[in-house]
Amino acid sequence: MNERLLLGRSIDTGSWVHKLDARSKITGMLLYVAIILLSTSWRSIGLVAVFSIVVMATTRIPLKYFIKAVKPLRYLMLFIFIVQALSVKEGEVLWSLGSFSLHAGGLRMGAFSVIRMLFLLTFTALLTFTTTPAKLNQGLEGVLAPLKKLRLSPDRITLMISIALRFIPTILDEAQIILKAQASRGADLKELPLKEKARMLVSLLVPVIASAFRRAQDLIYSMEARGFRMDAPRSRYHRLRWGAADTLFVAMFVVLGVAVVLL
Amino acid sequence: MAIQLQQVSYTYADRSMWKQTALHGINLEIAEGSLTGIAGATGSGKSTLLQLFNGILKPTEGTVQVLDVTITAGEKSPRLLPLRRRVGLVFQFPEQQMFEDTVEKDLCFGPLNFGVSLEEAKARARKSMTDMGLDLALLERNPFRLSGGQMRKAAIASVLAMDPDIVVLDEPTATLDPVSRAELIALLERLCREQGRTIIIVTHRMDELLPYADNWVLLKDGELAFQGSGGELAADPAILERCGLRVPQSLRYWQAAAERFGLSGEKPLLTAEGLAGRLAALLEERRTLNASGTEEMGNGHE
Amino acid sequence: MNQAYNDRTAGEKPAVIALEGVSFGYDPEHPILHDINVSIPQGQWVSIVGPNGCGKSTLVKLLNALLPKSAGHISVCGHTLQEETVQSIRQCIGMVFQNPDNQFIGQTVEEDILFGLEGQCLSYEEMKERLEFYTGKLGIGHLLSKHPGELSGGQKQRVAIASILAMKPGIVIFDEASSMLDEGSRDELMGILRDMQAAGSYTILLITHDADEILASDRVLALHGGSIAADVSPAELFRDAELLEKCHLREPYTWQLARELESRGITVDVPASEKELIDTLWQYNYSK
Repeated sequence: MNERLLLGRSIDTGSWVHKLDARSKITGMLLYVAIILLSTSWRSIGLVAVFSIVVMATTRIPLKYFIKAVKPLRYLMLFIFIVQALSVKEGEVLWSLGSFSLHAGGLRMGAFSVIRMLFLLTFTALLTFTTTPAKLNQGLEGVLAPLKKLRLSPDRITLMISIALRFIPTILDEAQIILKAQASRGADLKELPLKEKARMLVSLLVPVIASAFRRAQDLIYSMEARGFRMDAPRSRYHRLRWGAADTLFVAMFVVLGVAVVLL
Repeated sequence: MAIQLQQVSYTYADRSMWKQTALHGINLEIAEGSLTGIAGATGSGKSTLLQLFNGILKPTEGTVQVLDVTITAGEKSPRLLPLRRRVGLVFQFPEQQMFEDTVEKDLCFGPLNFGVSLEEAKARARKSMTDMGLDLALLERNPFRLSGGQMRKAAIASVLAMDPDIVVLDEPTATLDPVSRAELIALLERLCREQGRTIIIVTHRMDELLPYADNWVLLKDGELAFQGSGGELAADPAILERCGLRVPQSLRYWQAAAERFGLSGEKPLLTAEGLAGRLAALLEERRTLNASGTEEMGNGHE
Repeated sequence: MNQAYNDRTAGEKPAVIALEGVSFGYDPEHPILHDINVSIPQGQWVSIVGPNGCGKSTLVKLLNALLPKSAGHISVCGHTLQEETVQSIRQCIGMVFQNPDNQFIGQTVEEDILFGLEGQCLSYEEMKERLEFYTGKLGIGHLLSKHPGELSGGQKQRVAIASILAMKPGIVIFDEASSMLDEGSRDELMGILRDMQAAGSYTILLITHDADEILASDRVLALHGGSIAADVSPAELFRDAELLEKCHLREPYTWQLARELESRGITVDVPASEKELIDTLWQYNYSK
């Protein structure tokens, strides 16, 4: 249970990144994603790597949290590596079997893709590690503010995200209990043939959905009882403050982006 | 022995850096056909312990022996499906596991999974409804349309329909009203006494189970703090406080009465009715003694 | 007798809750509540009891318009319940629900407490002061940055109470708030309720099955089949075997013991402790 709590949980080390405005961090992260996509050479990815490692190190967040952030996607990365390695037919042939052949270029491409993905995942994890959910929400609201012109309410979007983040771990825990309860009644997904598995899925999904609805109803009562009305004016406890450090932070990404494009 | 644990430990996420030991070095024996209560403060490992009993969790250290199945840490475990049929595990709020559109179908779910014929499953569904004191007419109902208490009992019946030798329940009375709670405990006791099933109940209301339980298991921070009969527990209720539990009133009053009136060797009477009867008999005895003028027992001590 | 008790308690202080001819139901043939008339003075602690499905929860949810009203007149804190007054009424009623998880709105304790305060558009200074005061009062000051997944049920319930008290309601409703808690947390909740009662500024409505909680309250409203079956004191409730049965309740152990002794010809007061009872019995003299 405790592991899943990492979803949207901040780790407070009080570093300079922690003190930044959430809006600058969100902007920075968006730029970072673009930079990763633009980094197509070893030289540019090398530069990005140096930059990323320096920033991550200065947050003083232990390495294990970054590993944890990547871990759920390790099989996806392995898959990407294999696909790339087998599909790229450049460079010398290292190994072949029938129509399959492994080229040096393929290995390089596979490694390259995995490294990009690694940095994308670990670096963007910084956003949630260094920002409390409340601040993240406000930052998101700030970044989404232009949407008001399109008659979309940023408050609603952030409320939705915040409630989803709050309840997903709870519902996953509950799903696990229901899975165990049905397994105790002889419906063990692990021990059943595939055809039966589909039927057993119903025994899991119906209770989980029923319970999610029950929770939703309770939550609505609770929010309304505390005087909540959609789109009503609210004051804010945490203020967003854009300082010189924030401008500098975003500027760093702009410079990095330009460098990557030029390299 | 229905269940025997030897040096059992259980650690969540054993191979990761976030591992958490929930149970530590547990040695435990639960006799066949007995009614056992398990208590402990929140987070003491009660729920983890229960899940070891039918192989939902496997020990990370030690050996769990349930009926004739042995699960040893680190060894390949035997097929668990037959064990699951013989050990019915009822989780907290079991009504939340119901998913079929009639109570009958939900009750047949377990038996059918274990390869029982539909006819036999239906017969078992009817029997377990009766065992849980429910009207057979409810079989046709949608489980979501039952009252809270009925739904709880129907969900327990859905486990009983597997005809388990051992029934393990995690706080079966939570959120029910006092009358429904007492009813449910009485039904579970009958399963034990009349049908010879081994019943294990985790509770955080010891009061309601004290008069019925043969044995108690107390957990504290994942370790076994006490294992013994209700009588042994009554002799030393302080152990409860050490486990972070409140001493139930029935136990406190019995202990006070036993000390003053010298009843310590007797089987504890843990209902108001039982204790009142014993006390009334004692006073009556004393009155007859006084009347015959042999000794002024009451005043003699003052 | 019921009417007499009602008169006895009313009239001391102004009524903060008054219901006249209140009915509710989705199906007019089977109303969930039928013709409820009750008035509750400021500062009273009222237990609402009855079997499941008797309409207890519906009754309290009508008070702050969580459910649409179908008939009758409801007035809370001087406001007559209607569309325009819903917000003012919700401001003077706080509600603590049964499931500790489902009423935790924020992703951290701090966020959850601020949720209601931000909705009231309070200033930063005011929010900060209330946050500190109420988290201190409920002993959760050290948990501010915790995620609900890291808290026990009892701690989550404390957070819910802090969230509600921080909004400074005059009326606090507990809808089976202790039923999912362990023993220790139930005792703690009792302590909080007693403190609130001692403070005198809260009117407390408590939906419960718990004998100890009922015993500590000033007045009991027993609901049965959608109407008020009795409006009595806790002592009157626990002496009425028929009413207890009707409400699916049991008397506290000590009351049961006193009753069982009495039926065997031994008359004792309901004991406050085991020592008191045993001392009394040790010296008990049939002739007196």
